[in-house]
Amino acid sequence: MNQKNNLIIGIIIAAVVAASYNVGADPAEFVKGIPNLGIIIEEAIQVEPELLGTAFVSMFETIEMAFIGTIVGGAISLPLSMLAARNLNSKYVYGPIRAVLAAIRTLPSILWAILFVIMVGLGPFAGILATIMYTIGFMTKLQYESIEAVDADPVDAVNAIGVSKSQLIRYVVMPESAAHLLSQLLYTFDYNVRHTSIIGLVGAGGIGFYIINYIKFFEYGKAAVFMLVVLATVLVIDWISVKIRDKYIVKTQRGMEVKARIKTS
Amino acid sequence: MTLLTVSSTNHSFTNISKISTKTLVQMNDVWASYDSKNYVLREITLSIDNGVNYAIVGQSGSGKSTLLKLMNGMMKPSKGQVKINYQTPDTHDKKFKPLMAKIGYIPQSLGLIKNLTVIDNVLIGALPRIGKLKSFFKMFPENEIKEAEKILKLVGLEDKFERKAYMLSGGEKRRVAIARALIQKPELLLADEIVSELDHVTAREIMNLVADAQRTFNLTAVMVHHNMQLALEYANRVAVIKEGQKILEIGVEGDRIVDFQTGNMTQKEIIELYNQ
Ligand SMILES: Nc1ncnc2c1ncn2[C@@H]1O[C@H](COP(=O)(O)OP(=O)(O)OP(=O)(O)O)[C@@H](O)[C@H]1O
Ligand SMILES: [Mg+2]
Repeated sequence: MNQKNNLIIGIIIAAVVAASYNVGADPAEFVKGIPNLGIIIEEAIQVEPELLGTAFVSMFETIEMAFIGTIVGGAISLPLSMLAARNLNSKYVYGPIRAVLAAIRTLPSILWAILFVIMVGLGPFAGILATIMYTIGFMTKLQYESIEAVDADPVDAVNAIGVSKSQLIRYVVMPESAAHLLSQLLYTFDYNVRHTSIIGLVGAGGIGFYIINYIKFFEYGKAAVFMLVVLATVLVIDWISVKIRDKYIVKTQRGMEVKARIKTS
Repeated sequence: MTLLTVSSTNHSFTNISKISTKTLVQMNDVWASYDSKNYVLREITLSIDNGVNYAIVGQSGSGKSTLLKLMNGMMKPSKGQVKINYQTPDTHDKKFKPLMAKIGYIPQSLGLIKNLTVIDNVLIGALPRIGKLKSFFKMFPENEIKEAEKILKLVGLEDKFERKAYMLSGGEKRRVAIARALIQKPELLLADEIVSELDHVTAREIMNLVADAQRTFNLTAVMVHHNMQLALEYANRVAVIKEGQKILEIGVEGDRIVDFQTGNMTQKEIIELYNQ
């Protein structure tokens, strides 16, 4: 058994080495490249401060794109998720819907962006459309999984009253999963800010568009400054969404609202 | 028992609504299984008259909850027949929907929506009477809201309308579940051990509440109990289930046992049950 494991590990290592050789990934190149990092930093320091204004404006455009994409994508996702949930539908409904959603999910966001740049031209609109598609693929899976995780007892009890499917969704499924759905929306927004920064690289607007152009013209310092702005923004949004989730969603879900009030009084 | 057979034999000749004032629940040699291999209920035959309080008593795992699920159509029997008001209950059958609205079902776990307020939980019981569009926007008619408030007062929750369900005590949750069932204006109430985990005082309060509702709304109640004492105190009839079979059914009138049918149960076992 142990020998077999060693053999497997040996084969994997050999495969990594062989593949690296094949694609020309030479660690020596990496070491030789380290000093280039110093040059980039040097250039970045010399960048005029006015450029930061442009960086923030384009970052804001990216955030707007991510925001629109998340809200519109999320709104389209919700009814689709209701149809894709196995506990609410027959397999003739959720089967085809899930197949379509899986197909949407297979395409990475950057390919969606390229598709929409071809369709509607360069600019933020293509990026927004790509973000919507990406959000639908990504979010429906999260949503229908939390809909399926809703406690079956209230669903059965209310269903036995003879309510309609839409009433069941409105009065049982939604309230029981609202906390999860909201927290997923925040998480997806957070995630979409990163994605929307990347899809700009293919011309779909936002800060990524600037970064790729600076790289094209060998202005690595400026590109680095813009990348740092992305990094800082993502960290801030991440921090804010964790705070919101902790404060409003996780606590109300567990009924900790009351305890917190007792503690402060 | 004889009275029941009379009413069910001539129903095809007479007006149904007149007959439905006699027998509401009828089960004929019912067998039930969750896995189509092992039967959790066997040879269950019973009939429940309108207006009666029918208690089902038995040990844990004997099949009491399953019996209630058969009555409201959440489960279908493997063999035999279940009839509620001469219809076959089936929650998946559209034809049964009008009757589902008239069956108040309180599962053992109560099935409340924990993130909704008390009054919204109660209004859920009125949903079958409210249009889809109106209910989507939570636009309940004024009279339904009044009704919900009235019933909540009846169950003693007048000061907790806007409280979220997860912030209620066990007894309060049971009252909400009863209120949700009562706003349905049910003809049949199926209650699964709603007083089992409560102290004696609260348990009796809630049983009195059901008894009042039965009188006011001419309601038939089928209630599962753990406690034989409580069943004898409040029920007109008590059925004892053991390992999936009905081993005993007794009629109670005040403190007298008026009717009594022992299946395969020994005298000693009956006494043991009485002393529970
Ligand atoms: N969903 C289910 N799937 C499979 N088996 C089940 C299911 N629900 C109940 N059973 C089994 O059926 C039998 C009867 O269960 P039931 O819930 O009717 O008992 P009960 O008399 O209500 O018990 P308790 O007093 O503990 O509530 C038990 O053996 C139980 O394990
Ligand atoms: Mg039970």
